[in-house]
Amino acid sequence: MLGAYLPIIVLVVVAAMFGLVSVTMSSLIGPKKPSALKLSPYESGCEPVGTARERFSVKFYLIAMLFILFDIEAVFLYPWAVVFKSFINAGAGAFIFGEMLVFIVILFVGYIYVWKKGALEWE
Amino acid sequence: MVNGYPLLTILVFLPLAGALFLIPVWKRPEWLRRLALGAGVVELALAGWLTVRWQAFQQAPGAPAGFLLWEDLPWIEGFGIRYTVGMDGISLLMVILTAFITVIALAVSWRGIRERVALHYLLILVMESGIMGVFLSLDLILFYLFWEVMLVPMFLLIGIWGHGRRIYSAVKFFLYTMFGSLLMLLAIIGVYLVHGSETGSYTFALPALVNTRIAPDLAGWLFAAFLLAFAIKVPLFPLHTWLPDAHTDAPTAGSVLLAGLLLKTGAYGIIRFGYPLFPQAAASFAPLLTVLAVVGIIYGSWVAYAQTDMKRLVAYSSVGHMGFVALGIAAWTPVSLSGSVLQMVNHGVTTGALFALVGMLDERAETREIAAFGGLWGKIPLFSAFFLLFSMASAGLPGLNNFAGEFIILAGSFRVSPLAVVLAFIGIILPLVYTVRLVQQLLFVTERQPLALADISLREGGVLAVLALAAIYLGVHPAPVLDLLKVPVGLLTGTP
Amino acid sequence: METLAMPAINFAAIMPETILSAVAMALLLVNVFVRSEQKAYLGYLSLIGILVTFFPIVAGWNAPVELQSGFNGAVLQDNFSLFFKGIFLVSAALSILISDQYMQREGCNHGELYPLILLATAGMMLMASGTDLMVIFLGLELLSVALYVLAGFNRDKLKSNEAGLKYFLLGAFSTGFLLYGMALTFGATGTTKIAGIAAYVAANPMITGNQMFLVGMLLMGVGFSFKIAAAPFHMWTPDVYEGAPTPMTAFMSVGPKAAGFAAFLRVFMIALPAYKPEWSALLWVLAVLTMTVGNITALFQQDIKRMLAYSSIAHAGYVLVGFVAGNAVGTAGIMFYMLSYAFMNIGAFAIILLVGRKGEPNNNVADYAGFGFKHPLLGLAMSIFLFSLAGIPPAAGFIGKFYIFSGAIQAGYIWLAIIGVLNSAASVYYYLRVMVFMYMKDPVEEFDWLKVTPAHALCLLVAVAGVLIPGIVPGYLLELAQKAVFF
Repeated sequence: MLGAYLPIIVLVVVAAMFGLVSVTMSSLIGPKKPSALKLSPYESGCEPVGTARERFSVKFYLIAMLFILFDIEAVFLYPWAVVFKSFINAGAGAFIFGEMLVFIVILFVGYIYVWKKGALEWE
Repeated sequence: MVNGYPLLTILVFLPLAGALFLIPVWKRPEWLRRLALGAGVVELALAGWLTVRWQAFQQAPGAPAGFLLWEDLPWIEGFGIRYTVGMDGISLLMVILTAFITVIALAVSWRGIRERVALHYLLILVMESGIMGVFLSLDLILFYLFWEVMLVPMFLLIGIWGHGRRIYSAVKFFLYTMFGSLLMLLAIIGVYLVHGSETGSYTFALPALVNTRIAPDLAGWLFAAFLLAFAIKVPLFPLHTWLPDAHTDAPTAGSVLLAGLLLKTGAYGIIRFGYPLFPQAAASFAPLLTVLAVVGIIYGSWVAYAQTDMKRLVAYSSVGHMGFVALGIAAWTPVSLSGSVLQMVNHGVTTGALFALVGMLDERAETREIAAFGGLWGKIPLFSAFFLLFSMASAGLPGLNNFAGEFIILAGSFRVSPLAVVLAFIGIILPLVYTVRLVQQLLFVTERQPLALADISLREGGVLAVLALAAIYLGVHPAPVLDLLKVPVGLLTGTP
Repeated sequence: METLAMPAINFAAIMPETILSAVAMALLLVNVFVRSEQKAYLGYLSLIGILVTFFPIVAGWNAPVELQSGFNGAVLQDNFSLFFKGIFLVSAALSILISDQYMQREGCNHGELYPLILLATAGMMLMASGTDLMVIFLGLELLSVALYVLAGFNRDKLKSNEAGLKYFLLGAFSTGFLLYGMALTFGATGTTKIAGIAAYVAANPMITGNQMFLVGMLLMGVGFSFKIAAAPFHMWTPDVYEGAPTPMTAFMSVGPKAAGFAAFLRVFMIALPAYKPEWSALLWVLAVLTMTVGNITALFQQDIKRMLAYSSIAHAGYVLVGFVAGNAVGTAGIMFYMLSYAFMNIGAFAIILLVGRKGEPNNNVADYAGFGFKHPLLGLAMSIFLFSLAGIPPAAGFIGKFYIFSGAIQAGYIWLAIIGVLNSAASVYYYLRVMVFMYMKDPVEEFDWLKVTPAHALCLLVAVAGVLIPGIVPGYLLELAQKAVFF
């Protein structure tokens, strides 16, 4: 019973080890030349202190939504790919392939719509 | 069918067709009036021809006893709803009355209606179709359909061309009737289902349904629903409050139609549907009906006495007169029932005439207050003569029509409910009191304010003369009418 | 590698949905590629799509069951669902006919309107033919999401925004109820197929003691009640109907309601026939509440759109009466009623739309003063719709009510029928009020801005015919409705 969970346990252990080891190693052997900028929480240039109620451009939301839509829909491809072989064995490969094509066409229609509507343009 | 012609169907739909002919000329009032009157006269001629030929007709094949004319077609087969119209003596009388009163109504609105003339005449003709349908249909759903169809034109007539609180009165009239008729619809469905589950044949045909055996409790409720719908229309005592408003605020033609015809549909409904469908329940309701009728007779006359508005006075007198009709129905003997039907016709003629007269006065003086007039006898003698005649008829002067009807009702009811008849006798006296007062105030006392009144025109005189002839004829010689009623009334009361 | 058994897929069972969705997607693309400010052509194209969709519906009528069922029994396109699909198509077509004029006038002439209507219609169809809770849910979401957008379609107008947002929030809320109910039911019975639930319930009479199952069913009932706007779940209706663009109000008041009823009926009638006395007692209360609340509140409305919103709540109550009756007559009555309701209600909204003008919706009842004489034909049409709504013969609304109340009396629900009839008598008052203003008050406005486009005229013509013809000769439609009863 428990044996079935072994790979997961191994995964958890490896992931934890990876984090721990890399943090410890870099603090042990890395050179330390601190500056004000380097010590700030985000080195990418974001101001760490300021009002939390900053307004983002609405375009962020639009892009985020579109991203999630297409991203989640693309996720459907994975289970399909996994069972595709067995459908081929059942003799329905062409049908199932066609189904996926239809799915992608629908996604594509949405994509073209979004594109032509100008939702992807930043300006 | 007579010689292959669906006469009854023509009778029902001819006014409707006439109404459609009005549409192309809707901008020309003169044409409209003539066309509408023409349609009404053709309808009256057809009804008259039927009356003359009536004795020559044979019992229609497939029709229940007494129905000499009968047309029956499938309509909504899934429900057993058929298009069934039939005519016996009672229907014939009502049809003749309808055609007659409609012509009167079309004629009296000749000058009074100046705006939206087309719609006015169209509605009157549509309503005539509806009323004809009510008096002829023998399928309960068909009956219900016509019952509602005649409602809408009257609502619009009162609301558009009425006076005073016309909208209030129109809505009140509509809601009262609608309330009753919806409960009746439920009762109709109830009878249908009882009959269907008992015999396996689901039908709304009256001849089939009259033989339904219904549990007494249920029959009581169903009859109550029917009675409520019809009693509102008649109107019986506590349900009459819509009537004075509607009558007073309606235009002249509306009042004439309302008093002359619409009230009759209620009484007709009790006679045709209420009693035959639920004889036992009806018998147990008879005392209540009698009490309400007597209360209506006395109350209506009493309140009429207190009125200062002539139209309201005539309206309340209607409550009293229709009480007599209800009394005769409650007794349900051959004589009293014949009297009731005769009285329905009489009341249609006299009250229709009185409303027409009051309407003429209103057109000229623009007031209906009794106190505004006086001394009319000297000023407009022709009008006054007619007014006197119809007032006396309404008060039940022997030799005029109302007397005959009321007398027969009282004679027929005496055996069944002597006390009620004695009380109702007061109801014969009271009208005399308020009518004599009305006539005196209006025609004979000295003029109270100078009014420039023209006497009646040739057209008005013609209308009134025809009505007067009818009133005198029915009063002196009601035998032909009673002959017509002998067979159907005998069949209804089970004493052929 | 294991081999999978191919599920029994039958595309014929979802052909109408497929066609509508394909047309919707095509129109979406056409809309962005054709650079034209005029959007009416999209309306006509979608009408063609709707007409084409009628073919599989007519062809599928009375088809053998193996052609009707599809996707391993998740979808069943029986006569019942076909009849409802007809109702959806009619309501979509009529709403599309009156859309263009309004959208141009109000300056929200976006081409997305038509694809959204078609997708919503496809969603309703899935709801009507779903025999699996998940398919019903899928259809509901497809329908609702499209409708949220349609309700807020006039995005420059605050009221429309409010309508969209309110509809979205409450709709999402009710969807939550529904989905939770479905999940609990699934947990209790181990299946989402309605027939499977029925079999499980029949095999395990003890399930009525299982609170998970009961709560699940109850929550589903609540979810559906939201969708059909039954009291006390009706609060969203007036605001949404008032704020939404008028053609969409017309659409929303008919199609989605019919779809909700279709699914509601199917789930309860098939899954829980043995416990009908229990759930119909609940529905009895719901029906009485819905009729009464709808009618009484409608009596006090000054805004005609709000009045019709409350009246549509009342009408849902009448339909619930047929549901409570639960017999063949009642169910056929529901179908007949919903069809005639589509004609009369959309017809009434079509007139309301005409009376308004840019910036001035003229939705107050008083704005109708003298309308009947300024525009006799439109006045006549409005009168016909109002009389039909009030249930006065010879309009289809009367036959529908007659049918439903017959079903209730036949099933022994005498008091329910009496309450229904009393309600219907009360409702006459507020319909008459409009008539009173139309014919009995002197005109204030000239109504000269009023312009009836050919499309609009067609919609009115069809609606009047759809009210009068089934009202006078209902035989054929009654027969169809009777054949469409699924039990």
